[in-house]
Amino acid sequence: MQETVNVAFIGNPNCGKTTLFNAYTGAKLKVANWPGVTVEKKEGIMKYHDAKYKLCDLPGIYSLTSYTMEETVSRNYILSDDVDIIVDVVDASALERNLFLALGLIELGKPVVIALNMMDIIEERGMEIDLHRLPEMLGVPVIPVSARKRTGLSTLMHAVAHHVTEKSDKPVHHHSEGSHVHKHHDELAMVYSDDIEDKIDALSTLLQEKYKNLGNYRWYAIKTLEGDKDILENYPVDIKFDDKNYEDEIINQKYEFIEEIISETLVNKDEKARKTDKADKALTHPVWGIPIFLVIMAAVFFLTFTVGDFIKGYFEKGLDILSGALPPALEKMGAGPMLVSLIVDGILAGVGGILTFLPNIFILFLALAFLEDSGYMSRIAYVMDNVMGKIGLSGRAFIPMILGFGCSVPAVMASRALEDRRDRIKTILVTPFMSCSARLPIYIMFSEMFFEKYAMLVAYSMYIIGVIAAILIALIMSKIDKKRAEHSLLIELPEYKMPNIHTVFIYVWEKVKDYLTKAGTTIFIASIILWFLLNFGFGGLTDNMGDSFAGVLGKNLVPILKPAGLGFWQIAVALIAGVAAKEVVVSSTGVLFGVANAASAAGRAAIFASFQGIGFGAVNAMSLMLFCLLYIPCVATIATIRREAGRKWAWASALLHLSTAWLVSTLFYTIASLL
Amino acid sequence: MRLVEGKKGQTYTVKAINAEESLERRLRMLGLTDGSFISILGKKRCGSMVVKIRGTRFALGSAVSSAIEVGGETECRKL
Repeated sequence: MQETVNVAFIGNPNCGKTTLFNAYTGAKLKVANWPGVTVEKKEGIMKYHDAKYKLCDLPGIYSLTSYTMEETVSRNYILSDDVDIIVDVVDASALERNLFLALGLIELGKPVVIALNMMDIIEERGMEIDLHRLPEMLGVPVIPVSARKRTGLSTLMHAVAHHVTEKSDKPVHHHSEGSHVHKHHDELAMVYSDDIEDKIDALSTLLQEKYKNLGNYRWYAIKTLEGDKDILENYPVDIKFDDKNYEDEIINQKYEFIEEIISETLVNKDEKARKTDKADKALTHPVWGIPIFLVIMAAVFFLTFTVGDFIKGYFEKGLDILSGALPPALEKMGAGPMLVSLIVDGILAGVGGILTFLPNIFILFLALAFLEDSGYMSRIAYVMDNVMGKIGLSGRAFIPMILGFGCSVPAVMASRALEDRRDRIKTILVTPFMSCSARLPIYIMFSEMFFEKYAMLVAYSMYIIGVIAAILIALIMSKIDKKRAEHSLLIELPEYKMPNIHTVFIYVWEKVKDYLTKAGTTIFIASIILWFLLNFGFGGLTDNMGDSFAGVLGKNLVPILKPAGLGFWQIAVALIAGVAAKEVVVSSTGVLFGVANAASAAGRAAIFASFQGIGFGAVNAMSLMLFCLLYIPCVATIATIRREAGRKWAWASALLHLSTAWLVSTLFYTIASLL
Repeated sequence: MRLVEGKKGQTYTVKAINAEESLERRLRMLGLTDGSFISILGKKRCGSMVVKIRGTRFALGSAVSSAIEVGGETECRKL
């Protein structure tokens, strides 16, 4: 049994850790161009020269002090004994800032290899890094790589394999010698001033006496001197220095050393990064920033509806042919009428109907991928900071909300980047109001059926109403907890870049795969269950759906839904089923009315006729769309909220969404009926 | 003066940070040490701004830009 080497990938946010991790492990974790994409620790296995390596991708951090949940994840893991070697991914195009974390990691005393990423960008800019001097000054190996172009990867693994056991080279010393000798100075890259070093030595001696087997006493001494809460609590020592702020002093001296490194290793610092400044002039303009953002979002949905619908036309034709040809073919194979009904009215109506919306979903995620990989995402936080401040949230909270247009589950998780717990909870509660891609089929189907010419306008309005609902609810919540806006936004704005085709491909493919999987699992099963519940009642097989299990259940809910204009048992059943996944509202409509090709023109006409038969008109349809927009997010989202915020908030979320949905659609229906 | 009163297109030197400990520590770790340079690339009326610290762009909310005490205005130099 060979041993597994645990390799931790760590680095500043947005420096390319996940890209590197994907390149090694073949994983398809999400990559994008904004800080904070990775919020969870992810592991992967790779083999290199007969040895097994467990790679671990971590959320980005700026230092070894933690503020947010994701940073805590990284720090705790790095400090644990599970890590054999640290690969510090350093963004070469932002060397100065990245080296701060590097110095902290080297101080930890574990083997460190620096992966100098984004070397291609450095070259493009006409900059050079002295790759001989840099490792000399740091005392650890520095391997130039490009995670995106996959260069230098085997050299990096080679260095990892070697340095996991061997002690690193001694740094070549350049420090001006102090007045007297301190412990182990020749082994260290970062040496502080005499004043600080004396205290570090004194503290490590004390720590050594009091705590056996701590390992790297120097690191604990530095952290004690910095006043690190965790270390002070767990390893208190009785020593009092004057009240000077040693933490500032330590940070200052680290940066002084970094300035020295930069001046010796970075050649031709004159960067040509003016493109980003130019783009920012427009995109973060104090006046035009918000209108430009709104236009970009409008364009995203315009493309989703127009281009998506265009391709969808072909999918519908295919489904039409299939639903026409399938029953005779099945009968020929000897399938009984019951089985034919299950396959055609149950599965095909449910799953097939959902599949026709794939083009719209595809285009939506393609547009979102461009948005995320271009670097615009964190600008949105800046542009919206003022507006968000008015509702008691940081501009940072807008990023999860935008992600909510794709899927609420990752959006809720992205809220981890928020420091304040109350901000997190608020963001988690309002994010599901943003129309996720699962609600798209509902809007498309009902708006095309009942509003024809104005279909796109109606669908647009759903998105806008969702945003308004989110803002209003957040506003009400901030009134309740009386928290004043803090305007404490602090987010890195990465350079703009052309979205990477590979990254966009992974992003979109993963989402399309999710959608297909959902169609094949949740929606497939929901359709079958629904078919059974609709065709069987307390008296066994029934011809009248109204007497079936589902019918009886739906009828019981009619009085509650009546004020909202949704007092139809079929709608009640569809809404309950929709909690499994919101697309199920569409698929179950197909099953409920026994129309296999629900999305096509002919199928739509059949459903439309059935709707008119039960007295369900345009006003009811609008009310239904509003209800679907606002009511309980799907099971997956609720489960995520429970994991992120606890059971209490998961219930609160379900209740909040359900009551908002009922109130808004009832209000709408009441007013619309009066007109 | 405070950074929030600064002008777009100017570079300042950091004199002090008057914020609660966690925010101050955070800014320090990003390289905002006393004597370091900070350039204002963009500014909104409400006081939030886009700045460059040690070669990296950051967006700061008004509370953050008000907490940074600066001096020594110069033309935006290439940082």
